[in-house]
Amino acid sequence: MLRRTLASNWFYVVLMIALIILPHAIGWVSGDSPFGVRGRPVGQSIYWQGILIEVFVLAVLAMSYNLVFGFTGVISFGHALFFGIGGYILGVVLEYTDLTGEVGLLIGIGLTLIISAVLGLVIGMVTLRLRGVYFAMFTLAVAEMFYIFFSRLALTRAEDGFALTELPVWIDPTRSRLTFYYIALALLAATFLFIRRLIFSPTGAVLLAVRENEERARTIGFDTLRFKLLAITLAGMIASLAGLVQVILNKKVGPEVLNVSNTIDPLLMTIIGGAGTFTGPVIGAAGLHLGDRLLRDLVIEVGGASIDIGANWALILGIVFILVVLVFPYGIVGTFRRWRTKQAK
Amino acid sequence: MRPNILVSVALLVAVVVFGYFLSPDLGSFGITLMSGLFQGMLLFLVASGLSIIFGLMDVLNFAQGAYFMVGAYVSYSVHHSPDVMAAIPDPNIRFFLSVISAVAVGAVLGGLLERFLLRPLYARPIFQIVLTFGVAIVMTEAVEFIWSTTPYSWTVLFSLRDQSFQLFGQSFGVYRLVVIGIGFALIILIGLLLQRTRIGIIIRAGVEDREMVEALGINVRMVFTLVFTIGCAVASFGGAIAAPFLGASAGLANLFLLSAIAVVVLGGMGSYAGTAMGSLLLGLALAVMQVFAGKPQIGLPVLASMTPMMLMILVLLVRPGGLFGKGR
Repeated sequence: MLRRTLASNWFYVVLMIALIILPHAIGWVSGDSPFGVRGRPVGQSIYWQGILIEVFVLAVLAMSYNLVFGFTGVISFGHALFFGIGGYILGVVLEYTDLTGEVGLLIGIGLTLIISAVLGLVIGMVTLRLRGVYFAMFTLAVAEMFYIFFSRLALTRAEDGFALTELPVWIDPTRSRLTFYYIALALLAATFLFIRRLIFSPTGAVLLAVRENEERARTIGFDTLRFKLLAITLAGMIASLAGLVQVILNKKVGPEVLNVSNTIDPLLMTIIGGAGTFTGPVIGAAGLHLGDRLLRDLVIEVGGASIDIGANWALILGIVFILVVLVFPYGIVGTFRRWRTKQAK
Repeated sequence: MRPNILVSVALLVAVVVFGYFLSPDLGSFGITLMSGLFQGMLLFLVASGLSIIFGLMDVLNFAQGAYFMVGAYVSYSVHHSPDVMAAIPDPNIRFFLSVISAVAVGAVLGGLLERFLLRPLYARPIFQIVLTFGVAIVMTEAVEFIWSTTPYSWTVLFSLRDQSFQLFGQSFGVYRLVVIGIGFALIILIGLLLQRTRIGIIIRAGVEDREMVEALGINVRMVFTLVFTIGCAVASFGGAIAAPFLGASAGLANLFLLSAIAVVVLGGMGSYAGTAMGSLLLGLALAVMQVFAGKPQIGLPVLASMTPMMLMILVLLVRPGGLFGKGR
């Protein structure tokens, strides 16, 4: 049993082990300690841990987006709402109530999950009965409304946001980043396993049926609205957890967590990686974020005109995105899989 | 009168009366009213394309706001470019020219988008929505690439933009009145185009039943491209005539897209009369809310910018089909 599981999933197991060893490996190669120097976050290993945590956050966010878009076939343009609300709730609980330390953290996480689930349910109930495009419009509008609201709200210091100062030491990314790296990695692995388990379950089969042909699924006798609601709610909760990790990493909450770019990023990553696949969003997140980091300072000369890749990264991504939608609608993973089945025949 | 017209008129009157009681005197009430009509007309220019395109081809064009933004930028740069200034010293004629070039750019970009990007995707409607969203991103980023991220404000004025007249102790800008006039003229003109011409009849028939129109031997694809081109040109025109007031900035795209979506939901997807009515309603509601939220007793300027979204949420909860819609 275990052997068969390992044999069919050797890729994920190897990847997981590699990611566990990586901070130590970088530390060994560069000579910088993976734990930082005397509690201060310096050195190559710490730097790469930070970048990888960002990748994990984006991957979790993209996977949750993929659960809605790729597996259930519902377009949401308001994923930033769930992402951002998680951070704000944790921030408000830690900084504006007497709850601090572990207790505050736990209550913050609990409240985040509850409130994002309620938000997902309410938004879904209002719009999912209507045609798909209403859901897209409605989520865009609600997310934008929250963004405007929080960027003017005096309680959360409007545009500036506020810093998280009352985190427990063991999770504080400036003092114990390696622990936090493993927490983020665990969240990534848990999300991946959860979504895979969900999709392979009978419920997941119905979700796929809704994506393929909602009318038919309803005719067979499934209450499709309920299944779509389930997908939205779960995706909202996962996205809010990603937002939480992001906020803890930056130790700051501001309206930028609610910005529409947090909707655009998972959308691009899901589609470029491969919508409706398990690994697609992860590959998309890793590829786009690492690409952004590595190419940030690159300037190429084309016919005398120099083009600053880093400054125009979003423009390049957008063009790539349009091309992918037109030419490779199954994304990297989906196209690769199709190509392999064709080769096998 | 049909109930939906009755309801819309009642809402319109309610908003205006509310605005009247908020204003200390007739002059400032007039200012509020004019600002509301002005915003309503600009909204109509974006929302009409959105609504007709959605009704006809089931594509919700999330790039419609981006065309508004491009119109503003093109009109700004033609009007302020030193070369054009040297060639046409008269600012009024130059403004006319800049509006025309903005319309042309909008039309060309709109036609290209439909013909080359949307047409391959009619079999995959989900990807169409995603694609227009992507196009909106690319257009915003491209604008920031060409014109930088700094917003521009209109500096070279022209006599039409500058003139004003006195009434009830307040000065009213002529330009706003002209824009309102143009807006009303366009509402009637596009309405007539849809009601009376052959192409308009085909468009309305296509909104009702696309397959049937195709079965009658009409090349619906051609009509799609045409409607898309006109819709984007009109949005771009809106940006061009708004630029002397609002300037040109990348934020315009999202702002006007969201408000236009609210208008379309309010009026009913695909309904032309609903869109016209919804634009007027939302424009006036915005102006009244700006006065209301700015009052020192209220002191919540956020309310005004949240108005379109709140209105849209309300409509979707109470009457998802909108004022003039057919239900779902």
